[in-house]
Amino acid sequence: MLLQIKNLKINYKSDNRMVEVVRGVDLDIDRGECVGLIGESGCGKTTAGLSVTKLIPERKGNISSGEILFASNDILKLNPEELRNIRGKKISYVFQEPFSSLNPVFTIYEQIRESLEEKDNPGRRIAEILKSVGLEKIIGRKNAYPHELSGGMQQRAMIGMAIVSRPDLLVLDEPTTALDVTVQRQILDLIMELKNKMNLAILFISHDLRIVFNIADKIAIMYAGKIIEFGPKEKIVSSPAHPYTIGLIDSIPSLEHRKKPFNAISGKAPLFSELPQGCKFYPRCRFRIDKCTEKEPELRDVSGGQASRCIRIEELKSNGTIKNR
Amino acid sequence: MELLKIDNLRKTFKKHNTRAVDDVSFSVFKGEVLGLVGESGCGKSTLAKLALRLLEADKGSIFYKGRDLLNISHGDMRKTRKDLQIIFQDPYASLDPRMKAGKVIEEVYHIHKNVSGRERKNKTIELLETVGLGETYLNRLPSELSGGERQRIGIARALATDPEFIICDEPVSSLDISVQAQILNLLIELQKRKNLTYLFISHDLGVIGSICDRVMVMQSGKLIESGSCENVFKNPQHPYTKTLLESALLP
Repeated sequence: MLLQIKNLKINYKSDNRMVEVVRGVDLDIDRGECVGLIGESGCGKTTAGLSVTKLIPERKGNISSGEILFASNDILKLNPEELRNIRGKKISYVFQEPFSSLNPVFTIYEQIRESLEEKDNPGRRIAEILKSVGLEKIIGRKNAYPHELSGGMQQRAMIGMAIVSRPDLLVLDEPTTALDVTVQRQILDLIMELKNKMNLAILFISHDLRIVFNIADKIAIMYAGKIIEFGPKEKIVSSPAHPYTIGLIDSIPSLEHRKKPFNAISGKAPLFSELPQGCKFYPRCRFRIDKCTEKEPELRDVSGGQASRCIRIEELKSNGTIKNR
Repeated sequence: MELLKIDNLRKTFKKHNTRAVDDVSFSVFKGEVLGLVGESGCGKSTLAKLALRLLEADKGSIFYKGRDLLNISHGDMRKTRKDLQIIFQDPYASLDPRMKAGKVIEEVYHIHKNVSGRERKNKTIELLETVGLGETYLNRLPSELSGGERQRIGIARALATDPEFIICDEPVSSLDISVQAQILNLLIELQKRKNLTYLFISHDLGVIGSICDRVMVMQSGKLIESGSCENVFKNPQHPYTKTLLESALLP
C-alpha cells in the first residue's frame, strides 16, 4: 500500500479555541488507484488532504494523533529535510484555483523549471512536460506568463508542475471546480491519462459526487470530520449504504429532472464546536431513530469492501425502505 | 402571453472590441422557466444585465408586456423594476457585509415604497419564512450565514417587490451540491406557487434540466440553439450543444 492514513486526528483553531475537525480518519491508497474524498464544505476534507505532507500551518492547527504511512515511512515522524524530499516530489498537489496557485510574475517556463531536479539543459524536459499536459502551444514560448493562459491552460500548467518530479501520489483538491464544463471534462481526461501512463495514485477531493463517479476507483464520503461511508465506486453508485450518501446522490441534477423536487438533505452541516451526540448525521437524517443518538457508530463492513457508519442500513435495505439503484 | 421580448440586442465592450451580446432575439412567456446555458465569457450575464437595463445596450429593443423599456423615463423604469428582479450568483458578493438580513429586505420596501412603514417588519418576517429561514434571521449579518442561507436572503430580496419575472443568474453555481438541491427546490416551489417566470442562467446542463421548460444555448455572444429541454437534450442540432452535452457530468 502506497499511502495509509491511520486514525488521523487534526485540531484547528476557530474563534480562539481549538476544535477537532478531522476526528479519526482511516484511508488507504494504492499505486495506480484513484480515491475520491467527498464531502460538503467545512467537513474536513481539505485539511485531511493537506495533512498528507504535513502542510497544515502550525499557527492554525495541529495533527494531534494518528499515522500517515507513505511507502512505509511515517510522514508525521520525518524531520523537515526528509519531508522536503517527499513534498512536491513524491507527493504533489493541484489546488482549485490555478490562477492563485501560479506566480503571476514568473513565466510558465520558469515555474516548471523550478520544480525540475536536473537543472542542466531543462528545455527538453520542459517541452516534454508541456506536451504531456496538452500545452504544445506553449512549447518554445519561454516568455508566456500565467495571465496569457485560459483557466484550463493554467490548470494544465499546474498539473505539469505537479508531475515534473514523477511523483507517486497526486493530491487534487477540487481541481476542476473553477472551470467550465467542457474544460472540466478535458482536465479530467488528462488526469486519467496521466494516472494510467504514470501509474499514479490519486487522492481526488471534491464536493461533487458526479466528478468522482467519473474518475475514482474508490470513494470515501466524509461528514463532520469522519468517513461515514467507503467503498468501490460501483457499489457506492448502485447501492449506497449511508443516508448521507443517498442524500448526496439524490441531490445530483439531471437532464430529465424537469421541475420534480429533489429529495434533498434538509438542514445544514453541524458546527464542529456543537456536534450532536451519537451519529453526527442524526439531526438531518430521514431514517433516524432514538438509538442513533446513543453512541457514535463505528465504520463497519456492510458488504465486501463497502463500509458504513449507519446502524440501520441492513434493516432499511431488507425492508425495502432503501432500494438499490 | 409574451412577457419579455428581446429584439436584435447588441452590446460591444470597447476595451476589447468584443461583441459580448451579438444581435440576440428571444421571447419569454408568462409562467415558464427559460434556461440560458453557455460557458464563462459567452455573454449570458451581460445579456441578463441588458435585459434589466443595469447595462445599456448599443442597439436593439426590449419590450416588457409590450412596453419599450429602452424608451421610457428613469422614473418609469424604476417602477417597472418592481416586476423585474434578479438573483445573483455569488451570495457573498451580493450582500452588504454590514447589513443585517432583515435590513436587506426592508431596504427594498424603502426604495419601492410598496409596503407601508408599519407593515414592513411583518412583511420581512413573512418573506424570511417563505424562503425557509424565519424570524430568528432578522438580525443576522451575512458573515453569520452559510452560503445557502445567504442565497435564501438573495431570493427573499428579489421577492420583496412581488415580481412577475425573475432573472436567476447562476444562483446555485457557488453552492455545494447538497445545498444546491435545497435552493433549486425552493426556486421550483416558488415558481409553481406564485406562477413566476424565470430566465434561468447556468453553465450546468443538469441544473438547467432540473428546473427549465425551454433552453437557449449561447456561444460567443450569439444564441446558437433553442427549444424545449426535451428536444435540445435528446436531439441537439448545433455541434457546440453536442459538445456541451458530451462534457456534462451526469449521474
